[in-house]
Amino acid sequence: MTGQAFIALLPELISTGFLILVLMVGVFSDSNVGISASLAAIGTLAVFASAAVLLASGFSGSFFGDGFVVDGFALYFKLIVAGSAFFAVLAAARWADQTGDAPEYLTLILSVVLGSTLLVSMRDLFGIFLAIELATIPSYAMVAFDRSRRESAEGGMKYLITGVIASSVLLYGIVLIYGVSGSAMLSDVADTFTGTLTPVAVLGLVLMVSGFAFKLSAAPFHFWTPDAYQGAPTSAAAFLSVGPKAATFAILLRILLEGMPGAAPTWTAVMAFLAIITMFVGNLFALRQRNVRRMLAYSSVAHSGYILAAFAALQGGGVAFAVQAVLIYTAAYAVMNMGAFLVIDLVGEDAKSFNGLVRTNPGVAASMALFMAALVGIPPLSGFFGKLWIIIAGAPTGSILVYIVVGALVVNTVLSVPYYFGIIRNMLFEEPTTDTVTSKGSGAVRFSVYVLAVLTTLFGLLIIPLSALVGASGLA
Amino acid sequence: MPQIPMQAQQFLDALVSAPPLEGYLVVGAILFAIGTWGALIRRNAVVIFMCVELMINGVNLTLVAFADYLPNAGGLGVSYAVLVIAIAAAEIAVGLAIVLAVFRSRRTVNVDEVTAMRG
Repeated sequence: MTGQAFIALLPELISTGFLILVLMVGVFSDSNVGISASLAAIGTLAVFASAAVLLASGFSGSFFGDGFVVDGFALYFKLIVAGSAFFAVLAAARWADQTGDAPEYLTLILSVVLGSTLLVSMRDLFGIFLAIELATIPSYAMVAFDRSRRESAEGGMKYLITGVIASSVLLYGIVLIYGVSGSAMLSDVADTFTGTLTPVAVLGLVLMVSGFAFKLSAAPFHFWTPDAYQGAPTSAAAFLSVGPKAATFAILLRILLEGMPGAAPTWTAVMAFLAIITMFVGNLFALRQRNVRRMLAYSSVAHSGYILAAFAALQGGGVAFAVQAVLIYTAAYAVMNMGAFLVIDLVGEDAKSFNGLVRTNPGVAASMALFMAALVGIPPLSGFFGKLWIIIAGAPTGSILVYIVVGALVVNTVLSVPYYFGIIRNMLFEEPTTDTVTSKGSGAVRFSVYVLAVLTTLFGLLIIPLSALVGASGLA
Repeated sequence: MPQIPMQAQQFLDALVSAPPLEGYLVVGAILFAIGTWGALIRRNAVVIFMCVELMINGVNLTLVAFADYLPNAGGLGVSYAVLVIAIAAAEIAVGLAIVLAVFRSRRTVNVDEVTAMRG
């Protein structure tokens, strides 16, 4: 390994090192939550800092026989993964302390970080599968980790069974693509996937996209999502719905753009179809929920649909904007959804527990109102920019199907207003029911909620210039 | 030494010669289909895992066959197959732990009876 390769692997090496450290703390010390939580927090921050330094210095190149690539695009998603993991560690520390297994839980978070940061840099289909599994297998354990609630193991089992079936479907797709192209490298796959596709190539593509649809909780493969997120510890649901999911969107974008640009008419149609059903299913089911955590799980299905709408616009003149839309939307979603889940950690998951929150705890209530408004897409909050960029990307494609997808996105934004604003209504107009929530929740979680609220508000100023920079230097 | 009949000799030749790639692919696809079918219709979580193993082994057979027959693969596919076996083992290890956790709280691993959350 040359020095260059060491630098390229810096985020992964750092997360591996801290993963081992945190696990060893658990082995050698009993009263350890302070040490292991601060080690894990420092570790995620170090991953974030190393990716930020690499991005700022304009480092790029491909290593290990072209199988591992570092570019602006990959580093941007490493920032999202490490940043969301930092907030998940803060939220997990106090809770994991009560269960007595803090180091193990934090190790799982760090290994999901390792898998996701590796994933966005992979350029080899089997490497992609390995990295996806490295991120997914610990996440099953994270969902099932809360032994004090029966729902946790149940959610974990449902997530696990659908997850392993999806992994084998994904692997079969990858193997068929490997068989058709004779190589698993994306650059070689691109030579095969042009013109008219052979039936085996189409089968491979369909199986691979179905496997990814499972991982991204896109309808009709979304049914594990509400149970897994409702059962999971809040920090797990918050992290898994943003960090690894953003990385999976990133690698799907890389596979489609680098590995199959010649087959774009086929897969943009598939993506448009998936996007439309996913948006409608997510929003229509979210409308019926009384449990806020389950509502947010269906809302994460709907937001997967919005991001897939950007994938449908990856054709004609829309490619550059669509890539930027994915960059912006995943970051926007990470900020606002992480914040909403952390508020649930502070307040409680029943819709009634939000009643009158504005009187008992105005700061948290204001933050929650901001997150809900951002999830709807009210300007100038973060969610608005994501949706705006998708519409901008859809306009120059000149395809009727994409116009239908963008129309469905606007309709769904209106559909989603009642359930997001229902929370705000509860906080403003209902009488406080039980004791105030001020006693619950640690200072660290409260601090994270305020930081995320500020990020949601200032999103346009902070992230859009960064994503424009990345979009220019990276994939598109 | 007795003379081997013509047809018997042809049969023996066919047995020892390399079968065509399609043979492996068809067997792999059948294994995958049986596994998928079982994973969808069986209700016992442990049996579902066995069916998933069958799916993964079908995929692995396909992978090894491709790696052997493709001109440019250079044996890389076989090393991937070893990694896939390791991943399948890891999945099942975590899976059985979670199934045990479910069993401890409910005394059943039937996926139809584990339904505290709905809608």
